[in-house]
Amino acid sequence: MSEKKKRSFRLPNMTSFFASMISIGIGLVFGLILLIILNPEASGEAFVSLISAGFRSSDKFAKVLYQAAPLIMTGLSVAFAFKTGLFNIGATGQYTVGGAFALIAAIQLQQPWYVCLILALIGGAFWGLFPGLFKAYFNVNEVITSIMFNWIAMFAVNLTINNLPMMLAKYWGGAQMDRTANLAQANPSALIPRLGLDELMNSNYMNISIFIAILFAIVAWIILSKTTFGYELKACGFNRNASIYAGINAKRNIVLSMVISGAFAGVGGGLYFLAGTGQYTLLKQLLTAGFNGIPVALLASSHPIGTIFSALFVSYIQVGGDAMQPDFVKEIIDIIISVIIYLAAFALLMRELLTRRSMLAHDAEGDTPLPPADPEEKSEVSES
Amino acid sequence: MNDYVIEMLNITKEFPGIRANDNVTLRLKRGEIHALLGENGAGKSTLMSVLFGLYQPENGTIKKDGEVVRIKDPNDANALHIGMVHQHFKLVEVFTVLENIILGVEPNKMGFLQRKEARRKVVELSERYGLKVDPDARIEDISVGMQQRVEILKMLYRENDILIFDEPTAVLTPQEIDELMDIMRSFAAEGKSILFITHKLNEIMAVADRCTVLRKGKCVGTVDVKDTSKQELSRMMVGRDVEFVVAKDPAKPGETVLDVENLTVPSKLHKNNAVKNVSFRVRAGEIVCLAGIEGNGQTEFVYALTGLEKPVSGTIKLKNECIVRLAPRGARRRRGEKTNAAAKERAVKQINAPIRARSKLGMSHIPEDRQKYGLVLDYTLEENLVLERYYEPDFQNKGFIRKPEVRAYAEKLIEQYDIRSGQGPVTTARSMSGGNQQKAIVAREIDKEPELLVAVQPTRGLDVGAIEYIHKQLVAERDRGRAILLVSLELDEVMNVSDRILVMYEGEIVGEFDPKKTTVQELGLYMAGAQRTQAGSSSERKANSDV
Amino acid sequence: MNILADILSATILFAAPLLMVALGGMFSERSGIINIALEGIMIIGALCSCLFLRVLDDSGFGALHPQLAMFYAVLMAAGTGALFALLLAFASINLKADQTIGGTALNMFAPAFAIVLTWAIQGQGQTTILIPTWARITQETFGIVEKDTFLQNLIFKSFYQTTIWAIVLLIAAVIVLYKTRFGLRLRACGEHPQAADSVGINVYRMRYAGVFISGVLGGIGGLAYTLAAGSAFQSTVSGYGFLALAVMIFGNWKPWNILGASLFFALFKILGSYSGSIPFLPKFENIKASENIYLMLPYIVTMIVLILTSKKSRAPKSEGIPYDKGRR
Repeated sequence: MSEKKKRSFRLPNMTSFFASMISIGIGLVFGLILLIILNPEASGEAFVSLISAGFRSSDKFAKVLYQAAPLIMTGLSVAFAFKTGLFNIGATGQYTVGGAFALIAAIQLQQPWYVCLILALIGGAFWGLFPGLFKAYFNVNEVITSIMFNWIAMFAVNLTINNLPMMLAKYWGGAQMDRTANLAQANPSALIPRLGLDELMNSNYMNISIFIAILFAIVAWIILSKTTFGYELKACGFNRNASIYAGINAKRNIVLSMVISGAFAGVGGGLYFLAGTGQYTLLKQLLTAGFNGIPVALLASSHPIGTIFSALFVSYIQVGGDAMQPDFVKEIIDIIISVIIYLAAFALLMRELLTRRSMLAHDAEGDTPLPPADPEEKSEVSES
Repeated sequence: MNDYVIEMLNITKEFPGIRANDNVTLRLKRGEIHALLGENGAGKSTLMSVLFGLYQPENGTIKKDGEVVRIKDPNDANALHIGMVHQHFKLVEVFTVLENIILGVEPNKMGFLQRKEARRKVVELSERYGLKVDPDARIEDISVGMQQRVEILKMLYRENDILIFDEPTAVLTPQEIDELMDIMRSFAAEGKSILFITHKLNEIMAVADRCTVLRKGKCVGTVDVKDTSKQELSRMMVGRDVEFVVAKDPAKPGETVLDVENLTVPSKLHKNNAVKNVSFRVRAGEIVCLAGIEGNGQTEFVYALTGLEKPVSGTIKLKNECIVRLAPRGARRRRGEKTNAAAKERAVKQINAPIRARSKLGMSHIPEDRQKYGLVLDYTLEENLVLERYYEPDFQNKGFIRKPEVRAYAEKLIEQYDIRSGQGPVTTARSMSGGNQQKAIVAREIDKEPELLVAVQPTRGLDVGAIEYIHKQLVAERDRGRAILLVSLELDEVMNVSDRILVMYEGEIVGEFDPKKTTVQELGLYMAGAQRTQAGSSSERKANSDV
Repeated sequence: MNILADILSATILFAAPLLMVALGGMFSERSGIINIALEGIMIIGALCSCLFLRVLDDSGFGALHPQLAMFYAVLMAAGTGALFALLLAFASINLKADQTIGGTALNMFAPAFAIVLTWAIQGQGQTTILIPTWARITQETFGIVEKDTFLQNLIFKSFYQTTIWAIVLLIAAVIVLYKTRFGLRLRACGEHPQAADSVGINVYRMRYAGVFISGVLGGIGGLAYTLAAGSAFQSTVSGYGFLALAVMIFGNWKPWNILGASLFFALFKILGSYSGSIPFLPKFENIKASENIYLMLPYIVTMIVLILTSKKSRAPKSEGIPYDKGRR
């Protein structure tokens, strides 16, 4: 009898994993069907490309790793916020600001890469401060604040870079008007070290950023599961009222959560732009890297170590998507990813159903469950 | 035989893992008041929800006036003239009384609301039955008594004549309860049939004609009230003789642990203060109970005491350590004082200690709403058991949780307090039963070895066994020399467990009693504001309690 | 003077989509479902109706009966927006999924789908859909002689059928929400679904209706935005869907307040674009790319307003919480 109980409770974790797998599977099938509809002859080969491109050559694989690094960071950002009860849809803005801080440190201030990366972290943390503050002290929904600040970030960075003349490619002899300088020219010491990996994998893309990202993931996991700080953050996220009752400073924790979340996203921006292969284009649209953090977090059920794997997966199919061109538009990958997120909603339901079944079975102790708890959004209780 | 207006025959209703109603039969005669008695979890609400169409039974039939009927949803029930007043009012707070009454049966022309017609009918019904309501008031602004009248009017508006009342008296004063019973009697005299769910024996003896008793989902029997007694009913309800009184030695109070003086706490619901100038003391080794109807300031008082809310003014001392000292705004500068310096000299440093500081000083709090404040439901049992101590050196080292110590502590408490759960310390709190959740909270708070234990409604929603257990724990703690402040709405609990009773009405202490020397009726009068001890008695009370 | 006319007409033009989409969000949230997917719904509505406009243009029907063709296009936008929104409804109501996640999935899907579809229909590399010129309402439609007066400039500078729709739908929204049986029941579902259920209202159906309406309004709003933003659909609505959410919150989920809020925000957006030509606005001559300052303005102002109004903000009480009949 107790054996059965034990098994039914371990199910949730396994269910999450299987549910993620199923979502991915269905998403890919959906993608395949779409490919067939659009261009039947090319579809078969394209799909094969999609699935296998990442592994075909070491340089493609290097690209997978290289692209995964910022994805891990934005995934961590969203996951960390989720775990503490917040939805950080502002990862894009924090990523942008972090990247900008990194580039400014690199080009304008001519700093070495690790200083630039630290500044990227600070930049992202700074940008995460606002949604946190507004939620904690003014009860403004963090989703709206984050969205607004995503846009403010873009314009503010555009403005700043335009007014720091050293930043633009033109200054360093580049031809384009609308992007920042090539780091190889402007400040090679700002480039993230390759440590010979690029030769090893025969790729222009490879550097140690993936390892830095993995390191951050481990740090995030340690904070959340092993420290008292993480205990407090999660308590606030699960039940703000109870955490206040326990003497935890809920407002401070909401702010800290968003700041840390922002820091992760900022580092993501730093890792991307300091790699030297991308230059910051003065944009009219928000960078998607931040939004892609959401599926990464969801597929990993917000577990920090899981985000490593889900980021690798997303990066993998993105590389596959590039390989599908020119027969197919790479936006098909975004469609697949969005289907996977939509199905992730399904996964949560499955998990809840299974936990609830085992739960109600244990509830036969003769007393009534209390009526459903009131909506937990606004705490009626103020802090002294 | 066919004087039965409703027959519920062999009803079985199951939820995943639990059989809430097991082959239950209930027959309601026309024009009778029929009580449905049982403990929490016995299946009373479920049975009535089946009758009202909120649930579908797995098995069994329902007959109205001898004919089999199927009730798929509240609309069907309504068509059969069955209506229900729920225990937790189903009223939309931002709507007016009128809108709530007509919701679902709105008079309309092609979809457009005809408010005038509705209002006319509501006013007429309200006058006919003496149910005073203000049709244009919003639900969130009116009293609980009026809200219940709105629920009753909902039924009358729909011309229901089979009326179900689910625990209607939980939120009423004794006087309002009497009024409700009169209303029920007048309905019955008119030929309406009433089913009312309760666990209060007094009410059944006072107003019901017959009573059906449920226990753990099964029907134990139906009796004529005039042929039975409270003893017999309660034996049917729990299956054994229940002790109505908790065995305890007389209290031996020691020094003052809690000293509250002139405490005033604001209200979130209205402009007046919820707690007005309240003063009293609690000593070590005694259980003091704050009694009163819900909504008279007890909640706000406890929040101010424990630190969840900030009072306007007053002083609270815990073992002579000042945890609250707030002066009202006006007192800070007296007229005629030349400079601020003089005022500052006289001014007292404002104190409002944070929650954790109070906890460290020795205050424990068993909260009213265990799921909202007492537990993080998504945490495991062991994580919840260290909710207030995780930062202590026993349980953490340089910011890292010491998991083996946490586990050992949890296991100790589980054994000591017999907390049952699916998988021991790693069970998710959400999956535990209410009784065991409460035991976990009680365990956690008592194990802190507090100087002052504040227990608010500690036995709410629990079955008799768990209630007995918790009462025993409270008395045991009192005998160990702790000071206990109990806040309760259950008069039985108040009378049996406490050593001293303070009645709270509209934010003030209106009377102090010795449970051995007072009666439930006397308490009821004070609770309803019909009587109060004269002013100047607060100092009298203090003098008395020092004796 | 003409500048004033330009500014006013542009403000109204940009306020119209904000108004409609915010009203859509309001209906959804009033029924209890948080609809983050408004951005995606706008895109789908715009996509399908613009494609339809092209079809009408190619067939010649459009040039002959421009406003009738527009009318059909509006219906198309409404219909496709509603269908897309039903995906959110299904996930939130039947699967009881987290509504923000479902909404985000749809928001990612829509622009990608738009690009893929446009590509497929118009051929490789062609990702914009041009809007036919007959779509605009000009003096010709009414048979008036074109004159350079203030009034004419105000009305006809950029007049599209969708602006009229915005006004009509606003009035309809007020009536439906407060004067009909449906509106009362809808609001009950968003505040206290258990109460609604207990009087026999089908909460699931009401919530579907709420999301459906938000799809209709969002779709038309998408078309309106595309018409306002220029001459072509480019697979984006530039965050207007999210801005509409802010307008809805600022408008405290009430139709007339939402009207005020939309005009307010549209005005700021327009001021940004016209910053060069307005004499009394600071020019920031020393700063390069100073238009970015004005571009930021609507968002910054939104934030300030949200902070100031946070105390009075009163969302439908049960929004975002999936309704579960099983729980008591």
